[in-house]
Amino acid sequence: MDMARIAEPEKVKAKVSKSFVKPWLGVKYLFKRPVTIKIPFEKIEPAPKYRGFHTLNWKKCVGCNFCGQICPARAIEMTWLELNGKAEKRPHPKVDYGRCTFCQFCVDVCPTGALGFTESYMLTTGGSEEDFELYDWVPIEPDKVREINERFGDWRFPVVKVEKLGEGRIRYHLRDGSTFEFRILGYGIRPPAALRKPKSAPAKTSKAGGSGSGTKDENAGKREEKTQG
Amino acid sequence: MVMVSNLEVPRELRKEALKHDMYLKPISEDTYELFFGPQHMATENFSIILKMDGSRVEKAIANPGFLHRGFEKLAEQRPYFTNIALLLRICVPESDVPENIYSMAVDELVGWEVPERAIWIRTVVLEMARLASWMFWIMGFANEIGLYTAGSWAAAYRERFMRLFEELTGGRVYHIYTVPGGVRRDIPGDRWLRQLGDTVEYIKSKLKDFDEILFDNYITFARTEGVGVMDRKFALDHAVTGPNLRAVGVPYDVRKDDPYYLYPELDFEVPILNEGDSLARVLVRRYEMEQDLYILEQLLEMGPPGGPYMVQDKRLKSLPRFKVPAGSAWAHVESTKGDFGAYVVSDGTHKPYRVHIRGPSQSHGITVLEELLRGARLADVPVILKTLDNCPPDIDR
Repeated sequence: MDMARIAEPEKVKAKVSKSFVKPWLGVKYLFKRPVTIKIPFEKIEPAPKYRGFHTLNWKKCVGCNFCGQICPARAIEMTWLELNGKAEKRPHPKVDYGRCTFCQFCVDVCPTGALGFTESYMLTTGGSEEDFELYDWVPIEPDKVREINERFGDWRFPVVKVEKLGEGRIRYHLRDGSTFEFRILGYGIRPPAALRKPKSAPAKTSKAGGSGSGTKDENAGKREEKTQG
Repeated sequence: MVMVSNLEVPRELRKEALKHDMYLKPISEDTYELFFGPQHMATENFSIILKMDGSRVEKAIANPGFLHRGFEKLAEQRPYFTNIALLLRICVPESDVPENIYSMAVDELVGWEVPERAIWIRTVVLEMARLASWMFWIMGFANEIGLYTAGSWAAAYRERFMRLFEELTGGRVYHIYTVPGGVRRDIPGDRWLRQLGDTVEYIKSKLKDFDEILFDNYITFARTEGVGVMDRKFALDHAVTGPNLRAVGVPYDVRKDDPYYLYPELDFEVPILNEGDSLARVLVRRYEMEQDLYILEQLLEMGPPGGPYMVQDKRLKSLPRFKVPAGSAWAHVESTKGDFGAYVVSDGTHKPYRVHIRGPSQSHGITVLEELLRGARLADVPVILKTLDNCPPDIDR
């Protein structure tokens, strides 16, 4: 190492001097404004592009499961959905915020830009079973989330209640009073039995072993998509 | 009147306490076993079992294992990019250091030329992490010697860096920002650079106040001078690195001895002291804080170079299945705790074959601490612990 770049002990020690008087100079801080934030009278806004809850553009999502594969916490599960009585062609991610680490790698890898995120981050809940189920959701359209954020501005979760109507039918009660209803048909990358075409169904069931993840299943899903489209 | 010793616990209670290993055991007539931490503020999720002889420590046994464990094994089961979100938890106050060492090692494995702009951003982020970590350290150390005012100030100033990180990376503590091949986001504009410049100026002016209340304070001198003395041979034998090694007179700094990023172009000094006691460790840290502010000033003067902030590679489009050529790579950086390094072995698949992290806290927090605590007074235990500045998750790794 270049010896000139070493600060010798004398130089380091010269920076400080033992003093009995100097510590009392800290008293001047008594006349300064405090730095603490008086919640709830004051609040700080999260920075723009703060990593918060997800949004999902349902029309753009192609169900490629990249998000599920990159997720370090394995918080994403692909879900087959039915919206307004019509089944979605591709599975959509369901995010479990009990596991999510808010790293947003899923947003980075999304090839179509369907997954996005908002600055909302307040992950608080009551203690009931119903409240816990709130934070395991299929993200809704970004426009809707932004609208709610602008209206309330307190960075909370856009859904206040998840109502289960039976047969996999689910109704999200959003904060602005509107509702969003859909039906969960099944989980996994491969389509559930209800969506499979009868002619290709026997071949698929014989090949796939269980609903585990992996390249084999992924390929099976791709083949399925081809036959559908 | 018969004096009843307070150690005479009812038989049932004693059984219950022994079952949970929580019973204060009289070892001999004067020796007792004392559990120091993990509730104690100085230990941060770490505990020491002290065999006390009066108020002197006869023997200290480090008792780690209260935190996340098995990082290295978990890293073998996840794709390369995903590991960033896991490995940064190894050092909470400066989470950018594990991110950077892992990214550097993977960069070397793939053979990527990281863009200049990304290198500049990474250097700034590392230095900002160092300063935020110094503030965190002042908070812990000042609280331990009873100067709570300085601790509260440091917590408030750290907030400024957290805000800058929030705007740059989208996270406050866990930034998940540096990835192999560059960084995840560009600088959010000139406003951010101006804010960083203002913050550096601000902290620089506040360092004077810290001097007055903490570093020049006779209480600091009285509490640290001659406490926890470590000699040069002992330090070298026990793989001590970082400010702790510089406090015994060895001018070893990874930024100078094995330069990375922009450090060869930057001008800064490596402070050394020969005493090796707690005071020397404190003064070395104080000097380095000044140097870090100086480095950030130079970097801001240099300005971010143009160009992309992420390497341009087609393979990045299929990130979950991104494969790294077989081989192994080692990278290390200088953190505020010491020499932090990562060794990554690849077997050509999309997951690493092995990830090993070399953290400084393994030696500082276990072997060195146990040795330095022998013969120390109980009141000096937090002082020694804080001036060694270990990172408990790094021990539990």
